Amino acid sequence: MSIATQLLINGLIAGAIYALVSSGFSLIYSTCKFIHFAHGAVIAFSAYTLFLLFSVFGLNFWLGVILTIALTSFLGYLMNITVYKKLRKKKASNIILLIASFGLLILIESLILIFFGADVKTIGYIKVSKGLEFMGAIITPLQIFIIITSFILLVSLFFFMKKTKIGKAMRAVSDNKDVAEIVGISSEKIYNWSFSIGSAIAGIAGILVALEQNLEPTMGTGLIIKGFTASIIGGITSVPGAILGAFLLGLAENFGIWYLPSGYKDAIAFILLFLFLLFRPNGILGIKRRGEKER
Amino acid sequence: MISAYLIHLAILIVIYIILTLSLQLAMGYTGLLNLGHIAFFGIGAYTSALLTLAGWPFWMSFILSGIVAMIFGFLLSIPTNKLKGDYLALATMGFSFVVYAVLLNWTELTRGPLGLPGIPRPSLFGFNFSCNLSFLILTVIVVLVSFFIIRRLTNSPFGKVLESVRDDELASKTLGKNTFKIKSIALAVSAFFAGIAGSLYAHYITFIDPSSFTIMQLIPVLLIVIVGGLASLKGTIIATVVLILLPELLRFVGFPSSIVGPARQILYAVILLLILVYKPKGFYGKVELK
Repeated sequence: MSIATQLLINGLIAGAIYALVSSGFSLIYSTCKFIHFAHGAVIAFSAYTLFLLFSVFGLNFWLGVILTIALTSFLGYLMNITVYKKLRKKKASNIILLIASFGLLILIESLILIFFGADVKTIGYIKVSKGLEFMGAIITPLQIFIIITSFILLVSLFFFMKKTKIGKAMRAVSDNKDVAEIVGISSEKIYNWSFSIGSAIAGIAGILVALEQNLEPTMGTGLIIKGFTASIIGGITSVPGAILGAFLLGLAENFGIWYLPSGYKDAIAFILLFLFLLFRPNGILGIKRRGEKER
Repeated sequence: MISAYLIHLAILIVIYIILTLSLQLAMGYTGLLNLGHIAFFGIGAYTSALLTLAGWPFWMSFILSGIVAMIFGFLLSIPTNKLKGDYLALATMGFSFVVYAVLLNWTELTRGPLGLPGIPRPSLFGFNFSCNLSFLILTVIVVLVSFFIIRRLTNSPFGKVLESVRDDELASKTLGKNTFKIKSIALAVSAFFAGIAGSLYAHYITFIDPSSFTIMQLIPVLLIVIVGGLASLKGTIIATVVLILLPELLRFVGFPSSIVGPARQILYAVILLLILVYKPKGFYGKVELK
């Protein structure tokens, strides 16, 4: 019984982190309609910025966190206006945008590698503490903090999308860009907002991952793969779907290693990705709109 | 010394030409954005290495490496046939991750992250290609044969059908073409050539591990196809030569060796972004990426 509880908790922790990755990713996808791989590099950038500010410069931790989130958000905005906006102006297809985002991912990861080196770094703000016993399973205070933070953040994102003017405009652009422009919503402005908000969420994800695990230059690639798998499972155009997909993925991975060697943890995600792309490409919550072209 | 270095570069270029031409067949001519292409390269390399290490003669493992990759290409084409655009890109990429995970974790067969050392250099009819110059001659023969087959294929009526599938799949269906079958053949043939390129790579480097077959290694291949231009064999070959040689300059500028690797990636990423923004058709391309 305790193994099952432990796997459930591990699944929830993994799911909480994936949810932060996939919600930002799917926020950007739903408005801009292309796969932004460089979102992974944004997460790695956030983790390394916090490392630089806190562990190298010795800045106050919370000040460092706020600065990191702001810088990460700005990086997303910068990517949008320097690369993607130019490509959109030339009427580039979403495939070209996808390949460009790949280029950005590699660019940022390699820059991190040059500046910080390939060795694994730790932030070490939170001392390694003894885990708490919870129904026969072990959970550390940091992991509880991760689950709570991601829960609060996701709920506020939900209300932001439902209640605020920008959130509503985002949903309008995501629904139908042309009609949104007719009623006076500037889609370019909304793209900027999606990138800033999506990347800020990625910033928080990066910080939490940096506290819980170690920092490696390639950490973003691994996370974004999980993030978009989660988005596809839940429905890539729907932010709540992406969050649902993230928790399902986290649980599937952790319960899967009950039967398979733990090395196959990643393979479970890709097999799920593959199956969903084939049989339900719109995901669990994604709705196929009438007249939408066949994928 | 200098000549040994040049021969090494020449062999790499030739192996890359086979790999990029094979991707060009799927991506440029048939319009299948296959982000899992590097997996076929890996499957070919592992097939050839494992068979040769088990005592099979080189020529048999060489041909089988292509055939095994081709079977995987065909199998991949069945489920992905309906997918288009970014969904196809993601599914093929997922395929390459699964292959990587299997290579890494099936330790009884592949020795996992330890890799396979001591892959013998090829020998044919009692002649051993242990010297690099003779290996270069072998790879040049293979690339010439591959080039002529691919050129013949793309210039043939079948090649025109491939291009029609790329430009307008519905129209070619209307004209009675079985686009399902055509796309499967294109992907399988493309995988075959990637497989034999993998075999040459394994026997040249004599050591392989799963890290040579990740999505990161796909970047130069993808970049070359885009820079050279879609549906242009000439462009692909020129771009391969230029883009494999270009990062070698970094060594001569005096970068420390720990920085050459990431600097190479940065160079490739920047070229990729510039070409997409300013010259999306590449240098010799006939069509744009859709």
